[in-house]
Amino acid sequence: MIRVGDVLVSKGEGGVYGERMLDGYRVWDPYRSKLAALYLVGTGIELPPDMKVLYLGAANGTTVSHVADYVEVVYAVEFAPRPMQDLLEVARRRKNVMPILADASCPEQYAPLVETVDLLYQDVAQPDQAAIALKNCVFLKDGGYLILMLKTRSVDIRKEPAEVFRDTLDILMSAGLTVTESTWLAPYHQDHAAILCTK
Amino acid sequence: MQSCWFGDVEAGQCTPFTGDAAACARRVREIRTSMDAFVPLDWQQAVACGVCRDRAEYLALLQKVCIAGSEQAVREQYAAKDVELLQMVRTLDEMDTVTNVLSERVADWYQIRHPSFSRKYRRTPAHVLVKSISELNRERGGGGGALGKVATEITSLADARTALAKEVSARACDVMPNTSALIGGLVAARLLSHAGGLKELSRLPASGIQVLGARTALFAHIRTHAPSPKHGIIFQHRRVHNAPREVRGKVARVLAGKLAIAARLDYYRGCAVPAFLDDAQARIDRAGTVEGEGDKQQ
Repeated sequence: MIRVGDVLVSKGEGGVYGERMLDGYRVWDPYRSKLAALYLVGTGIELPPDMKVLYLGAANGTTVSHVADYVEVVYAVEFAPRPMQDLLEVARRRKNVMPILADASCPEQYAPLVETVDLLYQDVAQPDQAAIALKNCVFLKDGGYLILMLKTRSVDIRKEPAEVFRDTLDILMSAGLTVTESTWLAPYHQDHAAILCTK
Repeated sequence: MQSCWFGDVEAGQCTPFTGDAAACARRVREIRTSMDAFVPLDWQQAVACGVCRDRAEYLALLQKVCIAGSEQAVREQYAAKDVELLQMVRTLDEMDTVTNVLSERVADWYQIRHPSFSRKYRRTPAHVLVKSISELNRERGGGGGALGKVATEITSLADARTALAKEVSARACDVMPNTSALIGGLVAARLLSHAGGLKELSRLPASGIQVLGARTALFAHIRTHAPSPKHGIIFQHRRVHNAPREVRGKVARVLAGKLAIAARLDYYRGCAVPAFLDDAQARIDRAGTVEGEGDKQQ
């Protein structure tokens, strides 16, 4: 990962969402992007230039644009039309972003478009986040990475975040994934955890 | 056989799809892939297929298809009749809030300018006062300063609001003919906006429609056992607010019941159903009279 001093950055065309520029690099704000927060709170994984990424819950393309700066191609799946309008604008300016308007819990909707990927990144506000991740593991190559940004409050508002976190880890491990890192994203994001697995 | 965006692959044989990105995107959305024993596509099959020569060309083609497909899907979702109405009615309600707040503020401001002025005994609600300030401003040829200008702007905002209200009403009659016939276009549109869409409204139970817009009262009821709300937005309909107090809850309940049916007719049939409407109107009218209590004995 590229850092200027202590600041996480990525290399690409700026002005996507009014981000600051530092020595010609785009500053990657951990308060806006959970992936950036993971790199600051924990270790995360390197994003090599030949990497293929399936990104579920692409939203407005903020984090997508940074990931696309690092990797070869990002398949960006988003369900809602409003953020998709922004994501399309990002895709028109970046050759390696593939916007897909589809439901991440129905991989068959985008199966004809997506190839085998090295990284499955998921950031969706759904109650069955672990199940969605497992469903999408068919696109993940053996030895590939899964980064699950767990929104504990979307799983169950009445449960303790720590309990949701434990349950999710159990589901992932019992499905045969190896959890290599798991961390809370405080102070950048409340009640959000990042779980890193390998297939 | 595996169907990919670039063509069909079967036992090493590949039939490429010929057509532009838009046609290709339409085809992709019709492909039904089975996820049992699913293996993701291999981009090199596209090269074998003769669709592209190398990786760069593959990605460029694929991006065109993805963008075309997403644009189609967004356009389709926005083309649904109720989507724009939703924004219109929300704009309308926010304009109401804004003009009211500004009018009160300008009225206060005017009173400071005129120490002997009082609104007592004059029957001057803020919006009437704002109008007279803006007229005074015009007569003086814009001599009223910032106060006059702001008052003029509020008046023109109010005019825009009236025009928008007419449009909302007309659009609601088109999108939800049955519901609008029962409680009028504006209130029907507000129900739609609170439910979040025609589909969502049509799937609400009657009891939900009855208390749409009474969220605070409903949660106070659930949490603290306060009395349950009898009506939400549907109170704005004259049949509910003109009904005698003792039958108001009953009218609201009957009206909500009929509205639930009307919303379903609107969503699934999309046209006015006179037979249902006559029957429903009669039933609601009967509930509105105190004698309507006799229903039970009938």
